[in-house]
Amino acid sequence: MLRVITAGLRAHAARLVASTVAIVIAVGFVVATVTLSETTRSTMLEAVGARYTSTDVVVTSTTGAPLDDVARDVAALPGVAAVDLARSTSVQALVPGRTGAQYLLVDSVAEDPALRWQHLAGGALPDRPGEVAVSERVGAEIGDVLIATTYDDEGREVTSEATVVGVVDLRGDPSAGINGRAFVVGEQVETWGGLGPSELRIAGWPRTDPPLLAAEVRSGLEGQAVDVRTGEEQAVREAEALTGDARVLTLMLLVFGTVALLVAGLVIANTFAVLLAQRTRELALLRCVGATSRQVRRSVLAEAAVTGVAASALGVGAGIGLAALVSALVGTDSPVPLAGVTVPLSAVLGGLAVGTVTTLLAALAPARAATRVAPLAALRPLDPAPLRSRGGVRRLVAGLLLVVPGVALMVAGIAVGDVLLSVPGGALSFLGVVLLAQRAVPPVVAAAGRLVRSGGVTARLAGGNATRNPRRTAATATALLIGVTLTSAMVVGAATTRATAQAGLAAQYPTDVVVTGNSEDGVPASLVGRLEAVDGVQAATALTAGGLTGPDGYETWSLGVDPAEAAPVLRSTDDLPLPAEGTAVLPWWTVDTWGIEDGDEVTLSGDGGSRTFTARLGDTDHPLLTTTDLTALDPDAVADTLWLRLADGADPAAVVDEVTDVAGAAVPTAAVTGLASERAALDEVLDVLLLIVTGLLGVAVLIALIGVGNTLALSVVERRQENGLLRALGLTRGQVRGLLAWEAALVAGVAAVLGVVLGTAYGLIGVASVLGDYGEVVLSMPWLQVGAIVVVATAAGLLASVLPGRRAARTPPVAALAG
Amino acid sequence: MSAPVPVMTVPGEPPPTADAVRASGLTRTYGSGSTAVHALGGRVGDGTAGVDVAFARGAFTAIMGPSGSGKSTLMHCLAGLDTPTGGQVFLGGTELTSLRDDQLTRLRRDRIGFVFQSFNLLPVLDARENIVLPMQLAGRRPDPTWFDAVVARLGLRDRLRHRPAELSGGQQQRVAVARALLPRPDVVFADEPTGNLDSRAGAEVLDLLRSSVRETGQTVVMVTHDPAAAAYADRVVLLADGRVAGDIDDPTADSVLAALRGLGA
Ligand SMILES: Nc1ncnc2c1ncn2[C@@H]1O[C@H](COP(=O)(O)OP(=O)(O)O)[C@@H](O)[C@H]1O
Ligand SMILES: [Mg+2]
Repeated sequence: MLRVITAGLRAHAARLVASTVAIVIAVGFVVATVTLSETTRSTMLEAVGARYTSTDVVVTSTTGAPLDDVARDVAALPGVAAVDLARSTSVQALVPGRTGAQYLLVDSVAEDPALRWQHLAGGALPDRPGEVAVSERVGAEIGDVLIATTYDDEGREVTSEATVVGVVDLRGDPSAGINGRAFVVGEQVETWGGLGPSELRIAGWPRTDPPLLAAEVRSGLEGQAVDVRTGEEQAVREAEALTGDARVLTLMLLVFGTVALLVAGLVIANTFAVLLAQRTRELALLRCVGATSRQVRRSVLAEAAVTGVAASALGVGAGIGLAALVSALVGTDSPVPLAGVTVPLSAVLGGLAVGTVTTLLAALAPARAATRVAPLAALRPLDPAPLRSRGGVRRLVAGLLLVVPGVALMVAGIAVGDVLLSVPGGALSFLGVVLLAQRAVPPVVAAAGRLVRSGGVTARLAGGNATRNPRRTAATATALLIGVTLTSAMVVGAATTRATAQAGLAAQYPTDVVVTGNSEDGVPASLVGRLEAVDGVQAATALTAGGLTGPDGYETWSLGVDPAEAAPVLRSTDDLPLPAEGTAVLPWWTVDTWGIEDGDEVTLSGDGGSRTFTARLGDTDHPLLTTTDLTALDPDAVADTLWLRLADGADPAAVVDEVTDVAGAAVPTAAVTGLASERAALDEVLDVLLLIVTGLLGVAVLIALIGVGNTLALSVVERRQENGLLRALGLTRGQVRGLLAWEAALVAGVAAVLGVVLGTAYGLIGVASVLGDYGEVVLSMPWLQVGAIVVVATAAGLLASVLPGRRAARTPPVAALAG
Repeated sequence: MSAPVPVMTVPGEPPPTADAVRASGLTRTYGSGSTAVHALGGRVGDGTAGVDVAFARGAFTAIMGPSGSGKSTLMHCLAGLDTPTGGQVFLGGTELTSLRDDQLTRLRRDRIGFVFQSFNLLPVLDARENIVLPMQLAGRRPDPTWFDAVVARLGLRDRLRHRPAELSGGQQQRVAVARALLPRPDVVFADEPTGNLDSRAGAEVLDLLRSSVRETGQTVVMVTHDPAAAAYADRVVLLADGRVAGDIDDPTADSVLAALRGLGA
């Protein structure tokens, strides 16, 4: 029997290529996902955990209270060799060559060299106050003198100088974000306004066992409000806090990996079914000469096993290669840093097992069917009648049994806004849909075929051909349908999530960037124009500032705005309404201190007189009037604040840098703040998600494309005589190719349209039940992308018809007579 | 045979001839070297270089010969289904061997009708659609009166909406004949059209072919190995070993049988 198997494999190698490629892609995808996620974790652990590599034990406060006293207790313990009192603060620092100050996060450097963890890109770590080492992001060079601005206890500005002695390489540590970091000695942190140490990093004597030391420290600090962990535990903890989102991403990718496997399974099952159908006579002959049905089944399964193992091994290799490629492309310079590849053994073994098992499972049904081949079939002419599905009714019932409760669960999930109901509901109903699709697709393809009858004889013939073997058509279309459904669900879901999140974000943070002059004389009037000229700034408006006295008798810093000019700058006026003449928008704190409610009358006064306003409450720090009203009450009010709106798609970090420079040049005391980066970060995450989804469309479409091509290639073989007849009757080669192209377009088009409709429904349902909790969902339908999915999937189907079409066109007319 | 009719020659068009199809020096060799099979003419060291044969316009000619004598090969070459190894084939004034594939395809579609032994119809189309298929491929509309006449003659009127699977073998062959006759081709080629039919159904198909020749002047060339079938024809061309071995006018089953015996079949 082994000889028969190997001979079979050799003879059908070309056909098996399709199954092999499908499995390679699916397994490769899963392995790449697991490998990349593991690589991210280990890269992150290395970057974030860098500061704990030489630390045996870490003590943190549970209340946030300074740890000076605790440090003394720890140092007294016999097992402790050194303690670093980690302190931190922040300063506004002016780097030579830049006109605006930047915000730096400052950390202390350990006194004991054993506890110093910073990797130096150049220079040295500071040894005394007045020296500083900076991260590369700061852009300072060794020898530069930074001018740091801090505030003393009375709120007075204090400037001090610090010489750059070293540059620290943070190795992709993402915790610093877009801010620069500075490292100074502990004493300097204190003079820069740092509070007491928030973390103690402890080193034991050589050859200390960290868990033992941790136990010793824990018992020594009995009763104090501290957490004691080993350095490694602390590193894992911090890395996980940062990779939490990456985990969700991994989980999602794995869901897609499973889908890819499911699609591959369908393609494989289809391939084997057709391969065996073609070999009916061969198998029957085997039975005639004495092979038992068990032997036939075993030979088919052995063939599947060999294909599965070989393809899975290739897939594992491809997956690791893909991960290495992505890692090399992304590098450490991204929000999700990657260095090298870390291949978990589970990915290799899991990939192999999953691929082989999928192939075997997919081959099971065709193998069973093969055993039913009667020996007599060898003696009969090949039966051209389409295979009728006997499991049809069973499938219909099973499908309905899954769809109905699944949909009910989803509806319940939306009603109560609980994802935990919608997700299993979605999974159940989708499985049901896949089963039902097997039944629903052929009639839909037939209907679509009738629609295109006007497309000429070839279209009509293709319509007939596409429905000749309903089961095969259904399996082919379902593979594509699954991919398209999930992709469009993701695209629609992402669009709605983005719209909802952006609406919320816009209401919460209506201004992108705020520039305050912090000067008596205000900012020059020309600054608005100069800032608007900055690349990436879309609009700017100046606000006047002055002092007004409210009902409580205290002077309150108030802002005046020109509503017409400010409207295009704000992203939303939902939470921050703009004032009209005679209206004052008041901060929420006035509810308590002034006893104001929305719509009340409120009297404000200044040097220029007093006036009664209608109060509106809004998200503002200071009372907001129109500029005219404010200047009437306070004739000394000057323009001191600017609101900016950045262009969509601008790089906020670059724009903020430039705005800082321009503002700093005009008014040295100017400070720049803003939430543009939050919005950009959200956009970036969604963009990355969409990019991944597009990649998934690629994977799903590629696998399904192989399926379509495979089915067509087999049809070409089966219809050799028929194609010969058509050629004899006058069908040109181009028309033969057109025939297959129509057939492919029909099957792929129907699958794409059904998939997009289903996917849109799933996407909207999913978003509604996930976001329903957080308030109003802004539905957004990405027509362009959804349309593109239909076009891409159909075009892919057409592409898949090219090779089989060429082969069919080569059929000689005499083939019709070859019997 | 009809007498030659004087016709005006159009410049650029090949002159019309009395023959619908003509082959000269035709050879067809399968394979090469020691395993080469000379299906038609061309034997090394033999006097005959190739087959020369002509089929008259408006006549019903049968090609006969023992199995393997090259009947099908000859017909395929004459009908532009297969490319000869050597020699020339003329359909009217058109030389076939110099045509490119697309020109040949169009020529088959527009000027030749086919009836094969089996597998004549496309399973996904109904009888009517099968009959009009070649004309539709050519983008032509069948003349409705002619269509009705053909269908009526074949007795297929109430079967037009049936798919091939729902028709008997004889009905399927009659649909194939209707398809071949509808575009009024220069020649209808039939390869063993009755080979798979019982004698009554076979006789019906042969009657049809003969009446189309008698009543509408259709040219028909039919390959058969059945002397009774050949007796329907106006003339029989005998083949043996890839060469023309005889020619019988106004054949009867007996005269054909006798001639075949003479070939040692
Ligand atoms: N495709 C082919 N390849 C090789 N030999 C062929 C092929 N077709 C026909 N032949 C050979 O050519 C000879 C003539 O065949 P054919 O024309 O089919 O004869 P007939 O139709 O008279 O039975 C036979 O010897 C046959 O074996
Ligand atoms: Mg023959």
